[in-house]
Amino acid sequence: MAFVKLNDLEIEVEDGTNVVEAARQHGIEVPHYCYHPGLSRPANCRMCLVEPHVFFPPAGAIVPDRQLATGCTTVLRTAPPDRKLDGKYDFIVYTDSPRVKKARADILEFLLVHHPLDCPVCDQAGECDLQDYSHRHGHDKSRYLEVKNVPPKKDLGPDVLLYATRCVVCTRCIRFADEVSGTGELGLIHRGSHDEIDIPRSHEGVPLQVLDNKLAGNVVDICPVGALISKDFLFKSRPWFLEKANSVCSGCSVGCNITVEYKADGLYRIKPRFHEDINQHWMCDDGRLGYHYVNSDDRLQLPLKRVDDELTPTHWADALAVITENLSEVETEDIVVIGSAQGTNEDNYVLQQFAHDVLKTTQLGLFGQLPGEEHKFPQFTIEADKNPNAAGARTILGSANGNVVLEGEALWEKVSEAKVVYLVSGGPERPLEDAEKAALKHVDFLIVQDVLPSEVTQLADVVLPGTTFAEKDGTFTNSTGWVQRIRKTIDPPGEARVDWEITQQLAKQLGGEMNYHFAGEIALAIAENVPEYADATHQKIGDAGIKLADSDQ
Amino acid sequence: MSDKLIQIETPFVFNGENQREFDALIGRYPVKEAAMLPTLHLAQRQVGYITPAVMKYVAEQLEVSVMKVKDVVTFYPMFFEEPVGEYVIRVCHTLPCALRDCKGVLDHLKAKLDTDVASETNLAKGTTPDGKFTLMKVECLASCDVAPVIMVNGDLHKNLTSEKVDEILNDLSEK
Amino acid sequence: MVQERRILYEHLDVPDINTFDVFRQYDGYTRFEKAIAEYQPDDIAKMVMDSGLKGRGGAGFSTGLKWSFVPRDIKPCYLCCNADESEPGTFSNRYVLEKNPHLLIEGILICCYAMGIETTYVYIRGEFTLGKEMLDAAIKEAYEKGYLGKDIRGTGLNVDIYTHPGAGAYICGEETGLIESLEGKRGQPRNKPPFPAVEGVFGKPTVVQNVETLCNLPFIVGNGVEWYTQMGPTYADTRSDPPTPDPNTGTKLYCISGDVNEPGVYELDLGLTCSELIEVAGGLRGEEVKAVIPGGSSAPILTHYELDTRLDFTSLTLAKSMLGSGGIIVMNETRNIVDCLLNIMKFYAHESCGQCTPCRWGTPWVRDIVQRIADGNGRKSTMTRPKFGVAENGRWGDTGETEEIYEDLDLLESVANNIANVDTMTWNTICVFGIAVSWPAVSYMRKFRPEFEAAIREGELVTLPVAEATVPPEENYAYQQRFVPKEFADL
Repeated sequence: MAFVKLNDLEIEVEDGTNVVEAARQHGIEVPHYCYHPGLSRPANCRMCLVEPHVFFPPAGAIVPDRQLATGCTTVLRTAPPDRKLDGKYDFIVYTDSPRVKKARADILEFLLVHHPLDCPVCDQAGECDLQDYSHRHGHDKSRYLEVKNVPPKKDLGPDVLLYATRCVVCTRCIRFADEVSGTGELGLIHRGSHDEIDIPRSHEGVPLQVLDNKLAGNVVDICPVGALISKDFLFKSRPWFLEKANSVCSGCSVGCNITVEYKADGLYRIKPRFHEDINQHWMCDDGRLGYHYVNSDDRLQLPLKRVDDELTPTHWADALAVITENLSEVETEDIVVIGSAQGTNEDNYVLQQFAHDVLKTTQLGLFGQLPGEEHKFPQFTIEADKNPNAAGARTILGSANGNVVLEGEALWEKVSEAKVVYLVSGGPERPLEDAEKAALKHVDFLIVQDVLPSEVTQLADVVLPGTTFAEKDGTFTNSTGWVQRIRKTIDPPGEARVDWEITQQLAKQLGGEMNYHFAGEIALAIAENVPEYADATHQKIGDAGIKLADSDQ
Repeated sequence: MSDKLIQIETPFVFNGENQREFDALIGRYPVKEAAMLPTLHLAQRQVGYITPAVMKYVAEQLEVSVMKVKDVVTFYPMFFEEPVGEYVIRVCHTLPCALRDCKGVLDHLKAKLDTDVASETNLAKGTTPDGKFTLMKVECLASCDVAPVIMVNGDLHKNLTSEKVDEILNDLSEK
Repeated sequence: MVQERRILYEHLDVPDINTFDVFRQYDGYTRFEKAIAEYQPDDIAKMVMDSGLKGRGGAGFSTGLKWSFVPRDIKPCYLCCNADESEPGTFSNRYVLEKNPHLLIEGILICCYAMGIETTYVYIRGEFTLGKEMLDAAIKEAYEKGYLGKDIRGTGLNVDIYTHPGAGAYICGEETGLIESLEGKRGQPRNKPPFPAVEGVFGKPTVVQNVETLCNLPFIVGNGVEWYTQMGPTYADTRSDPPTPDPNTGTKLYCISGDVNEPGVYELDLGLTCSELIEVAGGLRGEEVKAVIPGGSSAPILTHYELDTRLDFTSLTLAKSMLGSGGIIVMNETRNIVDCLLNIMKFYAHESCGQCTPCRWGTPWVRDIVQRIADGNGRKSTMTRPKFGVAENGRWGDTGETEEIYEDLDLLESVANNIANVDTMTWNTICVFGIAVSWPAVSYMRKFRPEFEAAIREGELVTLPVAEATVPPEENYAYQQRFVPKEFADL
């Protein structure tokens, strides 16, 4: 630990921390544009200038260093005993001296000379570092009278637009494409004040390559100003109108930490949230843009039942009555209950409890999205398993005595022999493979709980409208054993209900004794009954997640 | 968007001599990317300017992304992205030459060639219609003792006067 | 009359000195042979340190000291020879490359031997086609004669020299810009530390030396330190404690251009005065000296009051200017300083690499302000303010008079100082390009303020007589000694 005098504070920081981070840890803002903790540090924006104090032998005193230093590249380390300042400090640095304040204001003036000041029509307004820092550290007027550069607006890729006039050339996006995604599509063109971010193009402007890698959306997040803009979010909403909730991406088994931004009428965008061991600062575009199914107009809003071979909307009481009727006539060995890798641990726990305690069956299955492709980047991996909770669902479904959780071919073999199948799906529309379709067609009475009409619901006798990750609380367990919380943002559409509530209702209908009131309560039950999850209460998981003890893969 | 990507119809490859030179170049550096500037000079010597095909080829040869090549090409004024005349006339206009009336030389050249001065992003502006000359201004050519100077392709012409400029142009036109 | 002392340039005009055989007739490579026969590498490094040789590229940093920062245990170590001579007014390296390339090779060999370096890159500016051709030919010859390559002269020493062409970017003359460019990227200078001596090209320790610096090495080794240190003055460096001798040893290739009768390169002992140099260069072309740029276009300008300033590293630093690359540009009474500044600012705005904020957007801004003044659109306020200057008590303060407010001159000074402050010598930029911009901008404006005011007042460029155009030293803080921070003022 280094003992540092930071302004008037005496602080202890870990060796190797830079001044920007050390200050941030103590609630002091050192403004910066080019510095990003996940990228290299070119120190080109010059915003984070700070004033180190050094021992100057001729004066025999500690004095401000002649040059200001960039906070991002000034690393704090323990000094050898004979080099301590004032006999105790490893470093003395000021972030609020008059010299620093003047330098900041001067740099901001330069940053704004070519800026169009088009905040009223800029997507970034409200979450813009240029706005915020100008407000807090800048001059109140510009002295620039000359003609401004007006570089053209450019299309960089499927989801990214560049408003070059607003760019401060911090090169975060370029470094992201070089270091994290390793795809290198971005660079600077021209020189000096004509510097522009661009993709490679011919002299006439026809692209040779576009920014279409699966991590491209991150450049929009890390752009400190309104230069890089997501087409998906363009002109959709002012950021200050959006509610935010910390959640976990349901796109694959990595379990990227995300912030879901939403209004009452649906989700607006998803941004990655920092988690050191899982996704660092990043997420992929599949996850980022994969939320649209939640807002879909096709969402199942009412229970459906088959009448004359047609699925017809009905009301909950009727749908549950039809199910109860069909279930009561079947032997337990003819029932298969299939949980979802898209569902939360809580959903699956209630489901297995329903199967084990109420239906008295031990034949369970696990259903989820079809596997995709794995994509490896220098600092990021997108996994092939497109379900957020396969690991959790597998453990939870199999947690009760004698439960067998079947998957793949074994499951479909069992399904084709069964009379009644209760299948919980969820997530984006899932196409069925031939073997799966054939097996499900064999089933006499198929109950499907899903969020969108799909090939699965078409085969169902009763369809129950469930909920997506955005409409419920709960936990997901990722492929490396991290248990993390998702949070309810919007209300489910129509009469759709949270999955475990549906299962519980069904259980009650069949005389089961289940009375959970909220997801956290189920998590307590899991903690009590599933040894691996002993610590996995919602309270303990919090925003950081917990790692299961025995799943250190 | 991908359907709008540029289609490179005739790929670029080094000719025999340049390939040999390139092979020698690559061996000089511990990383291939370092051969960027000499490689681009070679390619420009072969085709006259840096085309998208050249950028793609150089990127493959040096194992970097195309953007890294484009980045370098646009940074350095000696690389052209458009066709230039057979003779590129660079007129120095920095202070020592300015003190010795480089403006007179430039105006004379403009009148003689009946063309404007090229800008870095628009070389066509300074190229004569017959494609013989491209006239451009450059910064200090490090020959301030013999100012004003111009450079025609690789050759430096010193202590210029209008008469000398005429002579040079005559020589070049006859070639 | 000061006499030229030709050392580096002694044999420059000998016919065919660019060939190995002729070079050999004039002691070529004997200094290198002496080095490997008589000295250990560390002895050479010590000799260079003792010789007081200062880098000739611009910064004037002690070469021996620079070498001492290079960690000896990290290999490979590289030598980059900086032949990207782009500073306006500088042209001495070009002649070495074109006429006497073997001298440079010999210098490189001595440096490589001293530092245990096996690979040298000579970064030549792209426009030096002839220079590169001549150097390439000389390198080829040296390989053939066994002075380059593996196991040179049976000593086990391996040295390879490669030439690397630039492509027209001034900033690649900055040592870390050069390194980036050599690595095949845009020539954007790096943050320091780490300095190239510790982490340079390809992440390895790198010695970056100017052509002229390396060409000094054969003579230091050949004639000894004592002989070398007799040339040029020595000062006491009062900035260190206790004051140490600050030698300005050796000769300097002064490049003189502009309004003199015989512009060219003159090799002279460091420390002659400005007027002596003009004399050597055939005298002034014109009636009166109006201004002298002493060290390439980046250096603050000197007025006719300052012609007695000695042209060496220390004296010019004390005069708040710098020797830089030794490119001296003389301007006579017919020159308009606003016009000259505009020319220089256009140069810098064009050459800014655009990496860091103040320089990227500040430099063109400064150019635009000067352009506006030159176009006659400079702004002047109708108000007045108290005039600060040397007051009655002889001290700096309120003179009791009032002065008119020239808004654009205030703006010019403020913007330039925001890129790099010339009074405190602090810069907000990554490299010293920032100070190279604000130095001329502020010094021209302060020292020739009447001409700037006239341009604004009259709405067009007005060339004033020298006496009227120049601010006398006693009236302007532009002439003050190098800034000393308050804390050190009592020392």
